[in-house]
This record gives sequence, C-alpha cells and structure tokens, in this order.
Amino acid sequence: MVETRVSQHLVPPEPPPEASQPGALVWLRKNLFYSRGSTILTVLVGAVILLFLRGAVGFLLDQGRQWEVIPRNSANYSIGSYPRENIARTWVSLGVVAFIAGLATAAWRPIGRVSPGQISAAVRSAGIAALVLAVLAPSTFGGRTEFLIAGAVLFVIGQAALMALGDRAIDAFLPTLVVLGAGLVAFLVVLWILPISSSTQIPWTIVIAAAVVAFGVGRALIQPLGAPTVKRSVVALALFALPVLYLHVQRAPEIPWDRVVDWSAWIIPIVVIGYAAVIFVSGAEREAAAIVNGLLVVASIVVWFVSAPMAARFLLLMLTAVSLATPTFGSGEKGRRTVIAVWTGVVLVLMYLFAIGVGTPTLETNNNYFAGINLTFMLAIVPMLLAFPLGILMALGRTSTMPLFRLMSTGYIEVIRGVPLITVLFFFRFGVLNFLPPGLQPDAILLAIIGITLFAAAYLAENIRGGLQSIPKGQYEAAKAMGMTTAQMTMLITLPQALRAVIPAIVGQIITLFKDTSLVSIIGLAEFLRVANNIVPGQPDSLGTKLENLVFAAVVYWVFTFTFSRASLRLERRLGVGVR
Amino acid sequence: MTTERVTAPQTKPPLWRNETFLKWSAQIGVFVGIVALFWVLGTQAATNLDAQGREFSFRFLSDPAPQISEGIFTLPENGLESFATGIVNMLRVTFSGIIAASFLGVIVGVSRLSSNWLLSKSATVFVEIIRNIPLLVLIIFFALLCSLFFPELSNEASGPVWLIFTRNGVSLPWLFPTDTFWQWGAFLALGVVAAVLMFRRRDRLREQTGQNTHAPRYAMGAFLVVAAVGWFAHPIAGALGWIWQLLESIVSTVPVLAWQLLFAAVAVFLAVRWIRGFLDSLRSPAGLAKLTDDDYFRIGLAGVIGVGAALVFLFIPAITETIADVTAFVFGFFDQKFEFLRTGSPMRFARPEIIKPANFASIGPQGMTMTPAFFGLWVGVTLFTAANIGEIVRGGVLAVPKGQTEAGLAMGLRRSQLLRLIVLPQALRIILPPIGNQYLNLAKNTSLGIAVAFPEVVATMTTLANQSGQYLPVLLMWMGFYLTVSLLLSSLVNYYNRKLKLVER
Amino acid sequence: MTSNGKKEPIIVCDGVKKWFGDFQALRGVSTEVGEGEVVVIIGPSGSGKSTWIRCINRLEVHQEGRIIVDGIELSSDVRNIEKIRSEVGMVFQQFNLFPHLTVLQNVTLAQTWVRKRTKAEAEKKALDLLERVGIREQAAKFPGQLSGGQQQRVALARSLAMDPRIMLFDEPTSALDPEMIKEVLDSMKELARSGMTMMVVTHEMGFAREVADRVVFFDQGQIIEEGTPEHFFTDPQHDRTKLFLSQIL
Repeated sequence: MVETRVSQHLVPPEPPPEASQPGALVWLRKNLFYSRGSTILTVLVGAVILLFLRGAVGFLLDQGRQWEVIPRNSANYSIGSYPRENIARTWVSLGVVAFIAGLATAAWRPIGRVSPGQISAAVRSAGIAALVLAVLAPSTFGGRTEFLIAGAVLFVIGQAALMALGDRAIDAFLPTLVVLGAGLVAFLVVLWILPISSSTQIPWTIVIAAAVVAFGVGRALIQPLGAPTVKRSVVALALFALPVLYLHVQRAPEIPWDRVVDWSAWIIPIVVIGYAAVIFVSGAEREAAAIVNGLLVVASIVVWFVSAPMAARFLLLMLTAVSLATPTFGSGEKGRRTVIAVWTGVVLVLMYLFAIGVGTPTLETNNNYFAGINLTFMLAIVPMLLAFPLGILMALGRTSTMPLFRLMSTGYIEVIRGVPLITVLFFFRFGVLNFLPPGLQPDAILLAIIGITLFAAAYLAENIRGGLQSIPKGQYEAAKAMGMTTAQMTMLITLPQALRAVIPAIVGQIITLFKDTSLVSIIGLAEFLRVANNIVPGQPDSLGTKLENLVFAAVVYWVFTFTFSRASLRLERRLGVGVR
Repeated sequence: MTTERVTAPQTKPPLWRNETFLKWSAQIGVFVGIVALFWVLGTQAATNLDAQGREFSFRFLSDPAPQISEGIFTLPENGLESFATGIVNMLRVTFSGIIAASFLGVIVGVSRLSSNWLLSKSATVFVEIIRNIPLLVLIIFFALLCSLFFPELSNEASGPVWLIFTRNGVSLPWLFPTDTFWQWGAFLALGVVAAVLMFRRRDRLREQTGQNTHAPRYAMGAFLVVAAVGWFAHPIAGALGWIWQLLESIVSTVPVLAWQLLFAAVAVFLAVRWIRGFLDSLRSPAGLAKLTDDDYFRIGLAGVIGVGAALVFLFIPAITETIADVTAFVFGFFDQKFEFLRTGSPMRFARPEIIKPANFASIGPQGMTMTPAFFGLWVGVTLFTAANIGEIVRGGVLAVPKGQTEAGLAMGLRRSQLLRLIVLPQALRIILPPIGNQYLNLAKNTSLGIAVAFPEVVATMTTLANQSGQYLPVLLMWMGFYLTVSLLLSSLVNYYNRKLKLVER
Repeated sequence: MTSNGKKEPIIVCDGVKKWFGDFQALRGVSTEVGEGEVVVIIGPSGSGKSTWIRCINRLEVHQEGRIIVDGIELSSDVRNIEKIRSEVGMVFQQFNLFPHLTVLQNVTLAQTWVRKRTKAEAEKKALDLLERVGIREQAAKFPGQLSGGQQQRVALARSLAMDPRIMLFDEPTSALDPEMIKEVLDSMKELARSGMTMMVVTHEMGFAREVADRVVFFDQGQIIEEGTPEHFFTDPQHDRTKLFLSQIL
C-alpha cells in the first residue's frame, strides 16, 4: 500500500550558500599546480613564454630601432600623399563621421557595464608585466628606464584605484557610456598636455566636440520623433554622407556644368517619363502595369547599346527598379505619394553623385586623394555596402526553385570562392581595361572596389543562403496563404529573418574583408599596409625601418580587428537573448 | 453523395498570366541578358585588341620566360615551364603548410581546453594575435625576419654538403627526376591500378571469410612490387612513346572540320541523353506521368543549349582549333618523355653545394633550394591556418555531448584516456569538414607569396601576363588551376567524411 | 446531395489527383462545399487529407482534375492564385507566426500590403480581432513570448483580418498541450456559429460532433464516406470507417 501524502506548507525559495573568496595560493594550486604533470607543464610553458617575451622585447626595443619614424609619419599613415594644404577637408570628413557616430550612440544606447575593479586590476597587471620585462630584458634593450617608470606608475595607479574601491571593486559597475566619455576626455587631456602632436590638438578637440554635440542632439530628438525614426534617419544620413565625403569633400571636384547641360537632353525626358510611369503603375491593373514595366526593362537594356550618357543609363536603370517595385510596395493612394517621393529622391541623389563623380578634382596632387588608413576604410566599407544587394540576389537565386537562376548563382558563387582574391584584383587592375571602350577607363581605386565587391558578394551570398535555409517552410506557406506575392514574402517575411539569423556571420565577413583590403597593396594602391611596407621605409630619412613600420601596421590592424570581433561577440549575445 | 457539377468550363489562362510561362521567361530573359553582356564585352575587347594589333592567345606559354628565383625550372625555356615551376612551388608550400598547420593547430586547440591556466591562456593569446592580423602582414613580417636572422652566405665555394642554411636560401639533399622518370611513372600508374585491384580482392575475401585480410597492406605491397619492377623495366614502357606519337599525328592530320562535326554531334548527343534521362525519371510504374508546362520548358531548354553548343562548334572553328592544338601539344609533350629502350635511373640523388663562378659565391643548382621568401610564406600561412584549426578543434571537442565525458568518467578512464579514446574520435567527425575548408583556404592563401616575391602560380603568371599583356588567358589558367585544386582537395575531404560516417553506422 | 441543398457551392472539387513522385497522394477527390458550411475531415495520418485542403489554396499544386473556389478556377494563372489566397484563410498545425514581428504587426502586415488598408484601419481591425479571440493585451509581445494556445489564436486572428470567405484549418490543435486545446476550439466554434465556411482537418471528434454540418472520412487519397455527424458517428456504412471509429472512440 502506498500512503497518500499531502504537503502541508510550500517551502519558500532560499538564497544560495555564500561562496567563499579563494585566496591567491588556492587559485595557483587549483589552476597551475594541481598535479605533478601540470607543475612541469606550467614551469616549461612559463619558461618558454618568459624567454620569448624577453627576446621579443629586447629585439623590438633594441637601441638601434627607430620608433620615432611612426609619429613622424602619422599623416602619411592616415591620409598618404593627400595635399597637406587641404588637410582641413579630411578633418571635416572625420568631424562628420564623429557627428554621425554621436547620433548613432544616442539612437542605439550602448548597453552593458564595465567593472572599474577589473579595469584597475588590468592596469596593475600591465604595470607588473612592464616591471618584469624591464628587469629581465637583455642588455641591448633600449628602454629600460622608461619601462621601469611606466611600470611603476601603472602599478601604483591600479593599486590605488583598487584600494580606493575597496569592497566595491567586485560588484560596482559603470555604464559603458560613462567609460566611453571618460576615455575621450582622457584622450584630449593627454593630447593637450604631452608634446605628441601639437598641430592636431585643435582639430581633434573639434571632432570630439562634434560627437558630443551630436549625442546631445540625438538624445533630444528621440523624445519627439521616436527611436525607430531616429535610427532610420541616422542610417540614411550615414549612407548619404559616405559618397558626399569621399567624392565631394575629399576630392573637391569642379562640377562640369557644361556636361550636365549635355546630359539634360536625355535626363529631362527620363525624369518626366519616370513620373508618368510610376503614377500610372501605382494605380493601374496588374496587366497594364506589367506591360509598362516590361517596356521599361527593354528600354533600360537598349540604352546600354546606343550612345547615351552614363548618367542616363543609370537613371533609366533606377527608374526600372522603382517601377518594378511599385505594384508590390507602392500601389494605392498612399503608395503613389511614396513612389513619387522616392523617384524624386533617386533623381536628385543620382544626378548629384554623377555631377561630382565625373567632375575633375581641383586639388594639386598626383591623383592620390585616397590613401593610408582612409583608403583602407573606404575599401572595406564601400564594397561591403555594394556587395549586399548583389549577395542577397545571389542567395535568393541559389535557393530559388527556378533552375536557371539556381545554375547561374551557383556557378558565380563557386567560381569566385574557388579562386584567391589576389587573382581577381589583378584581373580588375590590369585585365579589365581590355574589355572597356577606350573612353571609359576607370581609375585603379574604382576598379579595386568593383573587384572586391564581386568577390565579397559571393561569400556574403553563402552566408545569407545559410540564413534563408534556416527559415522553416511554414513561414513561406503562411505568407503565401495570406495572398502575399513572392516579392512581398521575400522582403517582409523571409529576408528580414534570414539576415537577422546571419548577422554574426556577416560581421565576421566584414572583419575578414577589412583584413583583406591589405591585398590591394600588392596591386599598387597606397592603402595602410603599402604605406607601412613601401612608402615610409622608402623615404630617405626613414630607410631601414621596415620592421618598425610593419610591427606598427600589425598592431593597428590588430586593434581594429580585435575591437570589431569583440563587439560582434557582444552583438551575438544580445541577439541571442533578445527577440527569438 | 457529391454532384459532379462544375460551374464553369475550364480555360487555359492567357500567356502573360501563366505562372510557369512568367517564371521561365524571367529566367531566360536574365540568362540571355548575361550572355549579351559578355558578348558585348567580348566584342569590345576584340575591337580594342585589333586597334592595338594584338589578339588573345596562349602563345606566351611557348615564348621564352624570365628567370625564376627558386623551383624546378629556375631558368625556364618557355612559359609552360614557368607555369609548372609556379605550380610545384605552390604545392610545396601547400603540402608542407597543411602538415605543419595540422600538428600545430591540434596542439593549440587542445591547449586552449587544458585545465592548466597558463597553457590555455597562452594558446588563447596566440590565437587572438594571429587571427586578428591580416595574413599578408604576417607573411611580409616573417619573410623580413627570415632575411634578417638567417646567417650570411660565406663567400667561398664548398663541395657537396648535407645542409646549407643562409640568407640566400636553404638547400637540402633531394631526389630529382631524370629523363626516364616519366617511363617509370607509367609503371607507377600501373602500380596504383594493381593496388586498387588487390585491395578490392582482399576486401572481397574479408567479406567472404570474415577474417582480417590486411587489404591496405597487400595493396601497398602490390604497388611497391610494380614500382620496384618498373625501376628496372622502365625502358620497355618507352614503347608508349609510339602511341603518343600516333595520337599526336592523328589529332594534327584529321581536318578541323571533322573535329567540329564530332564535337557538335557530342553536344547534341549529350542533350538528347539528358532529355531521355529526364523523361525516364518521370516514368513511374503506372506509365509516364503527365508532363507539366515546367517540364516542357526544361526539355526545350536542354535542347536549345545542346543545339546552340553544336552551332557554336560548327560556326566558330577557332574554338575547335584551340582544343585540337592543345591536345596535340600535350601528346607531343608526352612523346618526348618516352623513348623505347631509353635507359638510366629514373631518379637521381644530389647534395647541395656552394659554387663561386666569379667574384661572388652562390648556392649551386644541386640540391633542393628554398629562399627566405618560402619560409616567410610558409610560416605565415602555417601560423594563420593553425590558429583557425585550433579554434575548430576546440569547438569540435566542446561540441561532443557532455554525456559522453560523463560516461567515460563513470567507466573510470583518466582524463588523457578520455580525450584520446572517447572525445577526439567523436570530435573528428565534427571538425573534419571545416578543417578541409581551412586546407582549401591555405592553398588559396599561398597566392600571397607574390608580395614577398615567392614564385608561385600567381607570381610567375603575373610576370608572363605583364610581359605579353594577355591577362584574360592568364586569368583563365588561374581559375582552371585553383578550381582543380579546390575540387581535388574537397573530394578528398568528402571521401574521408563518408568513410567516417560509414564507420559510425 | 450535400448536407444542405439550399446552399450555393463555394468550393467545387472534381476528380482532383496529385502525385509526389511515384506516390499518388490524391486519387480523384470530388465534392462540393456550400457557403457557410462547416466540413470536418477526419482520417488516418498520411491519408492525404492535409494535402487536399492545401490544394484548395494552392500551397500544393494538383496535377489533374479541377478545383473551383468562389467561381474562380485554380490553374497556373497568377491572378487567380492571389485572388483565391486572399479569399481563403488558413490556420496551420505549427501556427507559423512571423517571429520577427510583434503580435499586432503579425495581424496588420498582410492587411496593409495585400488588402492595401491604411495603418490605422489595419490596427483597429487587428485589435478588434485580438479582442474577439481574447488576447488583446498581448498585442505588443513577440510570438515567442506566448503560449501555444495563444499563438494559435493569434494565427486565427491573423487569417480573419483578411476578411476571408473560407477558412481552412490544418490540424489546428495537434501541436498544443491538452489544456490549451479548449481555448482554440472555443474560438473556432464561435467562428463557425458566425456563419463562416470552414474546412477543418482534425482529430477532435467532440468538435466534429458538435459543430460540423458534414463529416468527411478520408483514406488512401480519397473520400471513403461523408455525411452528417449523427449519421457518421452512429451509423457508419463503410467497413474502413467502422474500423477507424472503433480504433479512436
């Protein structure tokens, strides 16, 4: 017989037993010397590491090393041979970027907290490491005194901070935003106090002020406009600022009004036809809209085979795209107003970009407006943005049920992924010119951008394909069952989910692309690595400093890449605990 | 029960509203558009080259080629030898890099999982440093270090030695193929066939008797026996030269028109075969299923592509001519390598030496010589791949279910035994595909050798392209080469993958 | 004869056949469904009943025979397909809510893009419907934060928001925990009482008995027997039907 038992009262939850703080000796015992084997291993590894560090420090800080070439060439590293009398233009660009960054920080409040205890402990450890190295370093070591002083200072600061925090060292946290602000202030203080670079004190202050002001503006705007609107505006602003900064501010082109007037014979009819077409299509029956769109597609292909200005060809292409999207996204009274606004915006932006794009730069230089880390960032950002639509198209093609689309996308993706980037870059740098009409000879940077774009698109397509395949079949069925067209289903249901699922993979792709930009140094573009490897060591006063410059380049690449990848890890975690 | 009443007569929808028609017309439209784009670019290129008085050709392969700093032909007679040198150099870095990166990567991965704090932290620091620096920077940096740290070459000649290790290069004793190597190679190919046959036979025997028949050992033995016999009997294989000669003369004497007709017929035949296979796949026991509009489009497309290819072969003789020329060239090449009763040892052992033809000493042509650029590239790609492999190994080990470890511990296994006997074999299945990918990446990354003047495929062919201006043919050769390497490596990885999966069941 | 001869047929199936490769899933299905009729389809799993109702809004393409919904023939005519789909709502076994959108956005999305309603109209309609299925207070949440029963009721509201004339239910309660089934069935009963034409694939015999105008027994890709619930459950004619009922009741 089983006796029936009824619980008389519910047990309330209890706090967990308090964990005791292990002492340093216990920690060492547990992690380094827990068995005879581990003790031997620890001693061996420790010895190897100490020897390696000692050698490396001795080698890198040998008395013969000329580290002063790095600060002397800081301008070369950032902007290459950009004319120095126009350097204000690059500062303006940086200021605009800082402004947008400030707005973005206000829109996407960085979450997370930083433990001051951990920072202090890290500072103290760095101090100890510097002291140990200064003592152990070989006799060729050139910076023993400096290391001793720096190590002692760091140690004292870290220890003092820890003692000041006391018990709160473990569980006190600062918002990331505060730490960020403090970092910027510290940077400015150091810049004004230490004699590093007096010519950049004022510009840097203005740039940082721009970021701070933008942060305030952003915070003020969120209340009346709502966070989603602000976020969307910041993205739009950033996308528009990119070509303006690169093509207009940094190149200072003379707008060729005579050519613009020449274009107008083509442009004005296209603009007028465009308004007529989108207004008609947004209100028309499906068949009538399809006929108009079909005619536009044919026209936008034909215009490439007759002698028309490039601006007209692209404008017609954009018109076709807008008109093709109209039945899906812009029908009805409200839709009509939207497509009219979109078409107006497309015309204005495209014409402006063409006008400044073909304009001759007025700066006196050997055509190298973009160089140094400026070019490196350009070669990472612009191709990534251009590769996105292409990659999405390829991914859709590869997952499509239509065999010819699948075949073409798969062929493209697999061929590109099968060859190294450098072969693509070589072909675009030298070979492609054979295939273009004699009047159309794009410069090396544009060719490199096209090559990297086509390369990155294939890898991006594979990432996005992974996302598309992870979407359950039911999502497609539910969308179809509600009468959505394939275009609506893709844009509203499947693509948003697929992209969200592969954000970590895409960020990884961006990081890879950032590192891969170093390859264009092989085809002779003066990006960051080429400045470090060829340009600076080639100067008469810096001969024989290749090692110093390479180490510096490695450190800079490392700092950027490491920061990106840490940020992406955080993003991944944030997405993981979020909506899904 | 139900009425059979249907309210309206059935009608076919008009063409512009037919889903199947719309889908196919969109596909064919885009396809034709892309073909047209390439056609426009192609005609433009032809116009441009005409204006410059040039044309696309692979002639640079037979034209003289410049000197190469290291490899099998340091003074190549023609572009083809230059290409071959690049390939061999690339394969040298790739294979030695794969082996070294695998060892180092496994060590790094296991170290990261170690419970020894110092070891796991050092491995983490290694991975984080290497993975976040561009590979190109690593390669240039290590090449620079090699040229700084390797000792200088003393300015005196010396006789054959076992090792030369200097800034000018590292030279090792080596076995080199001689004139008769290809004749022996025919025997090696025969040996592979013999090994496969032997393996199958022993394997069948194992299935019949259930006993271990040591199939791999027997197969190896068969290969070695044939190879050993071939070492002495290879002059007989020289008779193959007559066959190559015959083939070459056939290819070059048969008129191009005949080849054109043959190729066109093959294109049509393949299309017909595909259509028949497609129809067969639709045939069910109940008879041929009803063909949908979609199926008609597919069949039509296959037919159009087949006939189109046939027409291209018939009306553009240049394509067929090129194929025939290349085939004849290959047969001619083999013909030179075989000569009936040509004797001599197929391989030659040589030790390196330092020569001093004039005022300056240099490493002689004997021995296998590698420049510091080789080591820069090799160290760079090895460390980079090892860091990635380390992460894959770590992920793979962590992905083995915890229950497996617990079961092992419950059986009383020690940690090392647990890792070796339980965890690693299971992790292997998870980590093999991504590691295969890393090998592929390593092979492609060797192309960065050009930055440190290491003469691999991209570097040697870039030189030829710059000389001749033939960038498109060179790009096609690169694509052909790298796609072949990708295909070979990935089929190898897939083969092992399948094998591991079979064992699992 | 349909169960109610006065009603106009809104769905007509005539000899509908469908193959998956060699396997014939539908072997000639012919029946009519009148306006406002509630048809419950039962049968063993793998009998093709889901395939059949998925053919009615062309989630599966039938190869032979004809399907006419509301006077529109289902063929490869793109215009008819979309028209029918917006007239026919469907609720799935696995809910298939869009996880990246809130409950409210799930219900308004197709209204704004397919029915071209303004955002305000769509939201008003959505909130009314959510009220009707009893989960208005969850409108701002994401589907992942709701229970299965709540999700299925959102899916119901999402379909109803399109003002369909016909509703298809593909085993709507099969993926739910037992205590959630009732809340979904209650919503469906309420819908049936309001005069909606419904085709329901389900294993809930209680629901069939209470709500159905007609019960269809489906096996091996064909209709074995159909009739009123009283007739069907008390006096089945076909041996296969008897066997099936004896196994589940």
